[in-house]
Amino acid sequence: MIIQFNGLEETIPRGLTISQLIEFFKEGDPHVIVEQNHRYIYPKDYDKCMVMENDKIEFINPDLGG
Amino acid sequence: MLLDDSQRYSRQIQLPAINVQGQEKLTGSTILIAGAGGLGSLTALYLTAAGVGHVIIVDHDQVELSNLNRQLLHRESTIGRPKALSAAESLGRLNSSIKITPVQAKLDQGNIDDLLKGVDLIVDGCDNFQTRQVINRACLNHGLPWIFGGVRGFNGIATSFVPGSLTCFECIISDPGHSSRPRRSESGQSGSGHSNPGQGILGPTAGIIASIQAMEAVKLLVDMGTSLVNRLIHVSGLDMRITTSALTPNPDCMVCNPVKKKRTQNKRTQKNDNPV
Repeated sequence: MIIQFNGLEETIPRGLTISQLIEFFKEGDPHVIVEQNHRYIYPKDYDKCMVMENDKIEFINPDLGG
Repeated sequence: MLLDDSQRYSRQIQLPAINVQGQEKLTGSTILIAGAGGLGSLTALYLTAAGVGHVIIVDHDQVELSNLNRQLLHRESTIGRPKALSAAESLGRLNSSIKITPVQAKLDQGNIDDLLKGVDLIVDGCDNFQTRQVINRACLNHGLPWIFGGVRGFNGIATSFVPGSLTCFECIISDPGHSSRPRRSESGQSGSGHSNPGQGILGPTAGIIASIQAMEAVKLLVDMGTSLVNRLIHVSGLDMRITTSALTPNPDCMVCNPVKKKRTQNKRTQKNDNPV
């Protein structure tokens, strides 16, 4: 299925949770912030939050420099 | 308001949302800028130029040559000098009609309560989690608003926290020093599609986020518009995308939930003490 991932169209397998999406995209930052359809998702919800067709997903690497 | 002040601020006083009353609020305000680095430099410049009455700028570091690509308060001639003093001199040259207080110190648990006396708002220009943690907890305790900003490479994030926000800083950002998940790749391409910038940063990245923070500060001080409270803004400079995400309460936050509970209890007690 197709999602918008970081502003780009990407094809991913159906039925993934956010946790599995992190694995799928090989995201290496353990502190990555995940935004699903403009909503901040807490890490404790990654395992139960399903990714749906046409979802807009952003992986945001928290930037703590000043 | 003095005649030359009304000229100096005329372009913003012309804005109906600000007007003379808003300018007087700015003039009567005290802000603390935590850090005179990339973010602190730009927010300090904008807020000094806007006529915030008292700007306290805190930094314990010295100016280095590698700072000058983005820390626009400092000059070649101030390399080696304390950033707080270098910043105060620059700001004083920009606006001599406001009070500027440089504090050459590291903001920590031991000094933050004293530094926040009389402060209306804190602007974050720090470069680490721990100092932001200190600011977050102090602001929760004192019921003060603060504006978070963070930058790296071409990217930055920002949001505003005010008393009554759905979240606090520690709800949404975890301590990078205490990782619960193993980091699989320390360098190269990550899943988010950006090359790892390490400690690198382009000046305009800090400029964009600092400008957002300065805008938030003016809005909160004047009490106008819609702030970033309960929203996180993310700027990706390399592909020029800006997204905002809605923040929802974190019931597991051990930092802000006890404060919120205490506030609710106090409100209930006050209601019971003053029955209508």
